[in-house]
Amino acid sequence: MTFVFPIDGATKNKVVVRDYSLSFDGKNTILDKINFEVKDGEFISLVGPSGCGKTTLLNLLAGIVPLIGDGDIKINGEDPEIGSTDVAYMLARDSLFPWRTALGNAGFGLEARGAVKEAYQSKAIKMLSEVGLKDFANAYPKELSHGMRQRVALARTFSLDAQLLLMDEPFGALDAQTKLQLEDLLLSLCHQFKHTVVFVTHDLAEAVALSDRVLVMSSRPGKILADISIDLPRPRSIRELQKSQKFHELYSVLWTYLEEGWVRHEG
Amino acid sequence: MKDKQFLIVGHLLLAPILIICWELGANLGWINPVFYGQPSGILKFLIKHSNSGALWTDLGWTLAGTFLAFIIGSTAALITGLIFVQFPRVEKLAEPYFNALNVMPRLALAPLFILWFGLGLTSKVAVGLSLSFFIVLSSTVAGMRGVSQDHLTLCKTLGAKPTTIFFKVTLPGAIPIIFSGLRLGLIYSLLGVVGTEIVASQHGIGQTITSLATSFNANGVMALVFVLAFLGVVIVRLMTSIEIYLSRWK
Repeated sequence: MTFVFPIDGATKNKVVVRDYSLSFDGKNTILDKINFEVKDGEFISLVGPSGCGKTTLLNLLAGIVPLIGDGDIKINGEDPEIGSTDVAYMLARDSLFPWRTALGNAGFGLEARGAVKEAYQSKAIKMLSEVGLKDFANAYPKELSHGMRQRVALARTFSLDAQLLLMDEPFGALDAQTKLQLEDLLLSLCHQFKHTVVFVTHDLAEAVALSDRVLVMSSRPGKILADISIDLPRPRSIRELQKSQKFHELYSVLWTYLEEGWVRHEG
Repeated sequence: MKDKQFLIVGHLLLAPILIICWELGANLGWINPVFYGQPSGILKFLIKHSNSGALWTDLGWTLAGTFLAFIIGSTAALITGLIFVQFPRVEKLAEPYFNALNVMPRLALAPLFILWFGLGLTSKVAVGLSLSFFIVLSSTVAGMRGVSQDHLTLCKTLGAKPTTIFFKVTLPGAIPIIFSGLRLGLIYSLLGVVGTEIVASQHGIGQTITSLATSFNANGVMALVFVLAFLGVVIVRLMTSIEIYLSRWK
């Protein structure tokens, strides 16, 4: 089965998923004919109830889950490959090394990819100040709050200079206040560095606030119920968005789709 | 700070009181110094034994045996641990044999080892390392198995090489657990060495303890037991401070 990818002169597709289905043991369908693409520089979110396969989908893009299903998944026109330098993956938990300082953790991404010491250190210092932790470079993770640790993880992710960021509920474990601060930080980092982002979350407000497009998925088997453009102007600020009528409208539209997915699932 | 002052004053009072009671008790005939010794006699023995150089020769042999047993035993254990972590099937295969060896009272092997290796250094080193090996082995395996799955996923998505993962993730994470095994391993090396010396040996503190005990020199036995206790405390203190330094991130 071959698929011809559309070559669009103006906007390149960074990620293309075509008719992708995945099932385990031939009957347990996880993903059912998933279709979407992500343009260069676009921020998309995958939302859906837990167990809808959104993390599996993200792990397929990261190459953590092998491409054993039907259909095609391409990143820059190639099969996803684990460890690719085009991709940076961020987990739900900060997964910092407790024996490394904030600086050592922020630089680990590039260090593991074989960069020389001066290169990853100076990059780590730069990114730590971008996330507001310049003064905590020598602190160990145990000395940092949850929010600060996730900021270090953001610094590690962004210091990779990868074009495509895959994020699996990176703020899922944070309290509401810290979450809003980090969402703002992510907005400004993405605005500054023009990354393409695939963001998995179950928080609809977060999805609306951050994304250019939100894909709503249904519970098992995972299907895409809706692909909604979030035409809120950028640069955005989380606090300003709370006051915006449009933000709340989009939120309730998403909510309706999500509910529909539930009803269908239960029915 | 107050706690610390209390402890210092407490020790300064408690230790002399105990020693004075023992000394007085021996002089008044409540404690038989022939069997239990007495502080003044112990001190006299220590001074004499130290001046003659005999104490230092004994200490030298015992410490040499301990460190050899510790170094050989823990190196072998670290290597075996690595193999076990890398090849779990090898571990499964070796497990019943290792378990059987590990539950066996190793001091029971001392007579056999003396028969095989003679009365010199080798037999006590063999017993010492047979104790330290298993302790360090189990802590090595536990430490390296304890590597976080999140850390491994992170490394995979970064495309880190296996050697990078080992030296920068698995090993640093395992060091505190491995080190607490090393601390115990060193203590058990000392135990194995002194135990073997007590069974039979040419030199060493254990050997001298036996000969003093058979000649009813209670002061001498007590003196050497205190030397061993002091040695043990020094070893534990030293290893603990290294351990604290290595685990400062915890």
